[in-house]
Amino acid sequence: MKRRSFMISAAGTAAGLALMPRFAFAEAGKIDVYFTSDQNVIDFWTNVIKPKFEAANAGITLNLVDGGDSAGVQAIAERALAALPSGADPQSDVAEGFDTRLPSGGIEAGLWVDFSKAGLSNYSKINPLALDVPTSLPYRGSQVLLAYDTTKLDPANVPKTWPALVAWIKANPGQFIYNRPDKGGSGGNFVRRAIYEATGNDPAKFTVDNYTQELADASLTPAWDILKDLSGSLFDNGAYTSGNTQSVQLLSQSAVTMIPAWSDQALSAISQGVLPETTGLVQLTDLGLPGGFTKIGVFSNGVNKDAALKLADFVLTEEIQSAVLTELGGYPGVSWDYIAADLREKFKDIVPTSIPVFPGGDWEKAINDGWYRAVAPNVDRTAA
Amino acid sequence: MTVLPANDIVGTNKSRRPVGLLLVAAPVLLVCWLIIWPIISAIIRTIWLPDAAAEKRFSLETYQFFFSDQYSINNLMVTLWTTAVTALILLLICLPIALYLRFATNRIAAYVQGLAIFPMFVPSIILSYAFIRVLGPNGTVDLLLNAVHLPHIRSPYLTPWGPVLGLVWDNIPLTVLILLSGLGNVSNQSIEAARDVGAGRLAVLWHIILPRISNSLLVAVSFTVLGIFSAFTLPYVLGPAAPEMMGPFMQRTFRDLNDPTTAITQAVIAFGFCIVFGLFYVYSVAKNRAP
Repeated sequence: MKRRSFMISAAGTAAGLALMPRFAFAEAGKIDVYFTSDQNVIDFWTNVIKPKFEAANAGITLNLVDGGDSAGVQAIAERALAALPSGADPQSDVAEGFDTRLPSGGIEAGLWVDFSKAGLSNYSKINPLALDVPTSLPYRGSQVLLAYDTTKLDPANVPKTWPALVAWIKANPGQFIYNRPDKGGSGGNFVRRAIYEATGNDPAKFTVDNYTQELADASLTPAWDILKDLSGSLFDNGAYTSGNTQSVQLLSQSAVTMIPAWSDQALSAISQGVLPETTGLVQLTDLGLPGGFTKIGVFSNGVNKDAALKLADFVLTEEIQSAVLTELGGYPGVSWDYIAADLREKFKDIVPTSIPVFPGGDWEKAINDGWYRAVAPNVDRTAA
Repeated sequence: MTVLPANDIVGTNKSRRPVGLLLVAAPVLLVCWLIIWPIISAIIRTIWLPDAAAEKRFSLETYQFFFSDQYSINNLMVTLWTTAVTALILLLICLPIALYLRFATNRIAAYVQGLAIFPMFVPSIILSYAFIRVLGPNGTVDLLLNAVHLPHIRSPYLTPWGPVLGLVWDNIPLTVLILLSGLGNVSNQSIEAARDVGAGRLAVLWHIILPRISNSLLVAVSFTVLGIFSAFTLPYVLGPAAPEMMGPFMQRTFRDLNDPTTAITQAVIAFGFCIVFGLFYVYSVAKNRAP
């Protein structure tokens, strides 16, 4: 055999071996959890939920995987959806912080466990405000509030109602910025607070299944007018940051005086020194800025589905829900009645009795697209 | 004893041809499978749409919507503007750097080269946040200007110039490297000969150097244009909310609006613009190969 042809056939064999399908199976008893949330949440799972759950359930371990963002976990979910018809092993059991409406067609195909029928002992404790689709299990919440620089704005004069906030933004042009509503919840919920303002401050008006084109036109158009009216007084004549973090960065660089921010993100930014000690936090008193609940989805075709359901039930126990409040700085996913009485007493001033929660689904699409088309472009950025 | 010429160095022996073809077959098949087929399937998915009765039929309505929707057109326009401006600035910055690196002989040139290649090793998400720190409001540049009592400049952050500056910085290494390889074709003798007959610096550049590197210029422009047109991270973090570049716009349509058909339409349109530069590149490579 000539050397050259030998090399070719050897290379061909090697390539063929490399291309052989490789099989991997999920380990029985090891629950694969994929996260969209940030590191502080994964740390909370590693340090609190994982040891407690594994101690309570011998033989089951948790494998916590950072999926990056929701696109990363969606890739995992799409893989599971593709594996569904053939009954193949998706090598994934739980998706954290993921909207189970995605990938589209997943719910119809039965990709996700329906928690309302899964018989979880703690399911009835969930805060009714937090329930969305029955394939998503809310387990923690957080709310948007206003973070401001107390060296530039005296806490005594800080706006505490929406009209006062609007008046303050207009009186101090360039000192306020919020992020694009689809790029982060702090700006997204600021926009939703404007929608409440335009429709009479009644969160009950919007539910996940009452979306119609007519209702959207009637309620969103006046909200866009409110926001368009503000845009000229925003930072740099109507700039919008592309995420929660960038807003915090502008506040920390003292480029603006006030931003909307997630409560847990603002608290951890202050404790880590990203925001100075002189940062003040305030919630509107006429109607709070909305918040949101983070949910868990369980794959119906996961190898460890039963263990994953045990885990889902476990995170709703009083022990973990109280830890969400004390360790994570978030709000519990269950109703306040199911939190330890001493904690209820301790946090009663900080946490409002109601968090307005704006529904997702079609509303989210309408708000995001409407804002980009109606609010973002219609501003003269060159004006002095 | 006679010395025979090596008879098969360039593969004239016909019996070996199938082996050569087999060798290129794998990459060609991969390109067909992973690139050509997705393009064809994308085009089919945007013109072969279900009607009200879920019956598939030929329709150009998604394209009609794109080109009748002022918002989409503005996004396309800002993408073309950003691409053109960035490519122009890149050439203006990189050509002098490449010329310097080609003709300098001292040790500083090594440091300049290292500095010019450095952006290649910085991920764009890190670049974006560094950009906000340095060029953003109350950033380092602002503080330095303020320290010497110069007026406050308006930050390019969150304006169309933000992505332009970021993309220029990000694309310097590739452009410099391509131009530098092209300048390798320019022999010292030809330049000395031109100088001997009295050509000035500009005349040497215009008549000797540029004609020889025109191919590299074309390749550099094609590469940067393709990269900039599809840029995502820098326009996403540094650019304005509206108009947005095609990269973030497609992602938003696909993910936030959950509208794959429209997103694919936008992708096909973006591809239509990019293919022009792709063909430029193929043409210039083919021209180079011609005997």
